[in-house]
Amino acid sequence: MESIDLSRLARKARGRYERARLGLSFAGAAPLIALVAATAFFAKRPNSVAFFGGLLFLAGVALLWRGRDLRRALWPGVLSGLIPLVFALVANHGHGCSGNHCSSLCVPACVAGGVTAGIVVSVIATRMRLGWGFWAAASAISMLTGAMGCACVGYSGVLALMGGFSVGLTPQLTRKVFAAS
Amino acid sequence: MRDFTDLDQLLKALSEGDRGVFTRVFELLWGPILRLCVHLMGETDGADVAQSSMLNILERANEYDWRRPALPWALAIATWECRTQLKRRARLRETTDEKPSETDNGASAEEQEQRVLLNAAMKAMGLLSEADQQTLIATYWETAPAVSGATLRKRRARALGRLREAFRRLYGID
Repeated sequence: MESIDLSRLARKARGRYERARLGLSFAGAAPLIALVAATAFFAKRPNSVAFFGGLLFLAGVALLWRGRDLRRALWPGVLSGLIPLVFALVANHGHGCSGNHCSSLCVPACVAGGVTAGIVVSVIATRMRLGWGFWAAASAISMLTGAMGCACVGYSGVLALMGGFSVGLTPQLTRKVFAAS
Repeated sequence: MRDFTDLDQLLKALSEGDRGVFTRVFELLWGPILRLCVHLMGETDGADVAQSSMLNILERANEYDWRRPALPWALAIATWECRTQLKRRARLRETTDEKPSETDNGASAEEQEQRVLLNAAMKAMGLLSEADQQTLIATYWETAPAVSGATLRKRRARALGRLREAFRRLYGID
């Protein structure tokens, strides 16, 4: 039997493992395309939806490919992000008036949705006792999902979402930081 | 013998994306896979097929179902790879109209496979005691042994159990 170069074989096997994992990650993140398409159909600004949706899809693939806590963060992040997304899409169809002044309900909806999504993500992360990777990844995914709807009034809607999300996240995050120290 | 329950956990971690265990999984799998492929395919072909089996196993590590033991899962992939290579070789021989070699004696791929398995079983049988061997041979040829009834059934069950254990020790599979 000829001597076998095991380190070369291991490198080749690692390459095959990574490629297979990437393929599975694309397949696993495919439902996000349907979500982005549906959102683009209902949203006022399909370009913004395409931008944030594209980022969401790529981030989803990356998380599934990296695996471990990051992989677990994808669907909780998407589900919590649906809250501000739905709020914003519904708010797009209405506006609030006081006196002579009328304004879109998008920003308040994004703030409220952001706060709720932040609470949901932090509660899930605390209950499942997951690490910082999960917190960061689920937050990013949640905000990208919500941002598809919150771009309804431009980037101020997205900033409102981020502000609300941070507020929602703060109580549990503070508890975690103090518990760790 | 290595602790293969450890392999179960390592392969589970790898399937979840923990790259840190990759080298250890590779090291734990390589020995049994090479042994199995060499037994089934011969020394030269066995080493080649063992390498392609390793690539297939680690490519499919993401699909590993952690509720099942890892080693039989990996050996099943390697066995399948050996079988595929045997069939491919037979097809190639058919298309090139190559005459069967002296050692083949014109046997088909299925016959060669059967022969390989029979040899493996005979090797495992050689590890058993004489009494166990006689019991199994008598069962195989359906000849009347010295004892009958419940005693024979118990003796046969014990002999079969020991044969299975010897087979598992030799090849890592049931």
